[in-house]
Amino acid sequence: MSEGSVARSRRRTELGLVALSGIITAAAYVLASLGKHSTMPARMVPFMLFVLGLLACGHVVVRLTAKGADPMFLPMAAFVHGLGFVMIARLNDRWAGLQATWSLVGLLAFAATLIVIERTGDLRRYQFTSLAAGLVLLLLPLIPGVGFTSGGARIWVSIGPINFQPGEFAKILLAIFFAGYLAERRDLIVDGHIRFLGVTLPELRHLAPILVAWAVSVVVMVGEKDLGSSLLFFTLFVVMLWVATERTSFLVMGGGLFAAGAFIAYQMFSHVRTRVDIWLNPWAQESGRGYQPIQALYGMAHGGLTGTGLGMGSPDLIPAAHNDFIFAALGEEMGLIGVATVLAAYALLVGAGMRTALRAQRDFEKLLAVGLTTISAVQTFIIVGGVLRVVPLTGVTLPFMSYGGSSLVANYVLLAILIRISDSTARSLHEVPDSASIAERFATWRLQRAARMSEATQ
Amino acid sequence: MNQRIRHLTVVLMALFGILFAQLTTWQVVKQKELKNKPGNMHALYSQFDKARGTIVTADGKVIADSIKLPASSNSQFDYQREYPYGDLYANITGYYSWGYGRTQLERMQNDVLAGKTTQQQLEATGDLFSTGDVTGSVNLTIDSRIQAAAEKALGNKEGSVVVVNPTTGAVLAMYSNPSFDPNLLVSHDSNVVSEAATALQNDSRKPLLANAYQERYMPGSTMKVVTTTIGLETGFLTLDRIFKNSRSWTPPNTTKPIRNYGKKVCGGDLAEVFRRSCNIPFAQTAVEVGPDLMVNGVNRFGFDERVPFDLPGAAASTFGGTAKDFADSLALLAIHGFGQGQVQITPLHMALIASSVANGGRMMAPFVVQETRTHSGAPIKTTSPQLWKTTMAPTTAATLTQLMIGVATNGTASCCIALKNGISVAVKTGTAQLNPEGQRQRSHAWIMGFAPAEAPKVAISVFIKGVNDDVSASTGGHLAGPIAKQILDVALPLLP
Repeated sequence: MSEGSVARSRRRTELGLVALSGIITAAAYVLASLGKHSTMPARMVPFMLFVLGLLACGHVVVRLTAKGADPMFLPMAAFVHGLGFVMIARLNDRWAGLQATWSLVGLLAFAATLIVIERTGDLRRYQFTSLAAGLVLLLLPLIPGVGFTSGGARIWVSIGPINFQPGEFAKILLAIFFAGYLAERRDLIVDGHIRFLGVTLPELRHLAPILVAWAVSVVVMVGEKDLGSSLLFFTLFVVMLWVATERTSFLVMGGGLFAAGAFIAYQMFSHVRTRVDIWLNPWAQESGRGYQPIQALYGMAHGGLTGTGLGMGSPDLIPAAHNDFIFAALGEEMGLIGVATVLAAYALLVGAGMRTALRAQRDFEKLLAVGLTTISAVQTFIIVGGVLRVVPLTGVTLPFMSYGGSSLVANYVLLAILIRISDSTARSLHEVPDSASIAERFATWRLQRAARMSEATQ
Repeated sequence: MNQRIRHLTVVLMALFGILFAQLTTWQVVKQKELKNKPGNMHALYSQFDKARGTIVTADGKVIADSIKLPASSNSQFDYQREYPYGDLYANITGYYSWGYGRTQLERMQNDVLAGKTTQQQLEATGDLFSTGDVTGSVNLTIDSRIQAAAEKALGNKEGSVVVVNPTTGAVLAMYSNPSFDPNLLVSHDSNVVSEAATALQNDSRKPLLANAYQERYMPGSTMKVVTTTIGLETGFLTLDRIFKNSRSWTPPNTTKPIRNYGKKVCGGDLAEVFRRSCNIPFAQTAVEVGPDLMVNGVNRFGFDERVPFDLPGAAASTFGGTAKDFADSLALLAIHGFGQGQVQITPLHMALIASSVANGGRMMAPFVVQETRTHSGAPIKTTSPQLWKTTMAPTTAATLTQLMIGVATNGTASCCIALKNGISVAVKTGTAQLNPEGQRQRSHAWIMGFAPAEAPKVAISVFIKGVNDDVSASTGGHLAGPIAKQILDVALPLLP
């Protein structure tokens, strides 16, 4: 296959799947309106134009800036984003308007990321900047007057009219730092080891920056009472270290640290105990704190195998159905068949991320792809598992689906970086022509001009 | 690193596998258990957010409807159930309440009204993109004009009226006073609902019960139709049988005498004692027929058996004892023979007994639902008339008809039942003595019958409860007779 045809075939696949996501979203929107109001949605045509416009915009940006990228990323994200939006719109018109605005911002962030970051090396150069920015973002909610508490967690920042959760972006920045740091030093960490009680441990000085990053993020998370994000950061750190060093001892260490941390948190914090108690037996507090998870289970049972049909269940009985519990709301109205499809879409997204990591030619790209994919997968597991009572419920957002701007924008940035890595790999493998990026062309043009001018002056 | 990435992929996919397994647990494996939890309101809630079908009378009046609430309404639901005629049809439609469940047709026909029958679901799939409304309609046999006449004729008297088509069993009207306004129970304001429900539940007159078929009362002399039928069918009684004029008669094995109504002297041939409603001849007949054949006979009328009805909770009439009970006490059998003692009949069953005489001994199963239809009007289910009991031979029915005509023209009902346009009518009255002898008079008033007598189109039972002196001082003929006449005068011109 020639270099051009690989890119063409990947983009054709992407276009087909993106179009399908758009059709599914539009159909779901119509069904939800019919189910709820027995009428066609009032703003059907503007809605269709908006959705198709966003999707077309996303696809065109990928086509222009990352034509060798894996074709699964954008369609799978569009699919879960679309269904999530339909559910939010079905629950509340006002949220739908805001979420539509955030969808637009998300797509713009996606495009901007792809346009600005033309080479993965651009990110690598800024690993310590990323660390600093990540830590600042994490600490921001703790600053009086800027940060505020909502829903029991101090993870919000209010600047002017906009409220957002900086932690969503901190995850990506810290993953960039970890990837850059570990890519450079993995050999050092592996070679320079000490043996302690029969276990091979890396020398402390190689680990210090990571330990600091980890400790700070965990402390902040405990301070902010955001258990889900704390668990997410910890998993991210352990997984990246393990993949980079190929040392199982890190997994063992991580497991031990996690167990100890969990035990201490359970002993020290009443809100942790409450969460565990509700997880183990929500019916003990059926009308109290157990109400929300129980309503979610009731709703999903009401939906059963095939669901009540969009717009025909009563997900509004679940408090915060548009947010942490959007998966349960979909479970009620789309049934096991519907939400199993959603799970499959996430699995495909994670699969594409891991495939990107496997294929990546540079350590930094490999580790970054692993990190970002782990964030998506673990975050999905934590919140869906929380709703399904696999793990205690902790409030993290379901990527692309939950209501909320920060999460949506951050996830589109994450998606764009994965696409960038995937495209970069395709260029390295010569699957697509490694044409110069805009910045490189500009640099070349300047060099050539300088050369021409110096010739002219001679 | 790739080896580790592969392992990681397997682990992450395993996590999705766990999620899927747990999802299946909640949505399939434990679905029933979760759905049946008392706190699970999801199914109920989604019902209240959806349109619900109409209940329509035979002449096209919508008696239950659901109204889409405007977005400005402060209700938590999208639709409001409405019963435009208030208490007139409450015992038939029932109500579909938030917190107090559903009753009567709202309960029995829930699948049709909510659009849950297979046929409606299939149709809904077909016109998915037109309206999305899948609710069905329930079309009744009830005629709003006869129902309204029944309410008007009954006025403020406590009691029930049942009007039936004797050849099919179709119920044309069924009304009880007191009734209740179901609109109060379906309000979305839970204070209104609980206040109304508490008041209705505490009302000693039991307005929430459909008295016409869920309550049973002592029939008094209307029971003589049954006793006479059994006597004729078993050969113990013939038209030429002469009963001696007597003031009292003491049944075997007792010293307590039986008297006629008003302690009158009463006797003559069967036609005369029937139209004058003497007690002693029918007490004697019951004793002559004997416990086994009497019990066997009333069972042919459907006593001590639930009436097969398409509304829920129909009460069974009772003859008040077993053959052995009556063998032990023939006096009891004698008293039950003319409808006193422990005999109890529902007003609906009383109308069916009249119907079976009118229909040559064939007692049809009663029904109020003529047919159910999908949203587009396609029939879902049409009721075909079903025979319930064969109570007597056609010749016996003809004899009974003659006896009952006598009651109307020359007997206990002759005062009050002459119909418009001289249409002939066959009836039997009843005045059921509730008080022991010597105590304050308390009596129910009954009339049952059919018209036109020679080619019956409609059968009726009217029951007035003996709750006060006014009712108790009068008789079935005088009190229930005029009510029956009013209703029959309205009903007969309407029927083909």
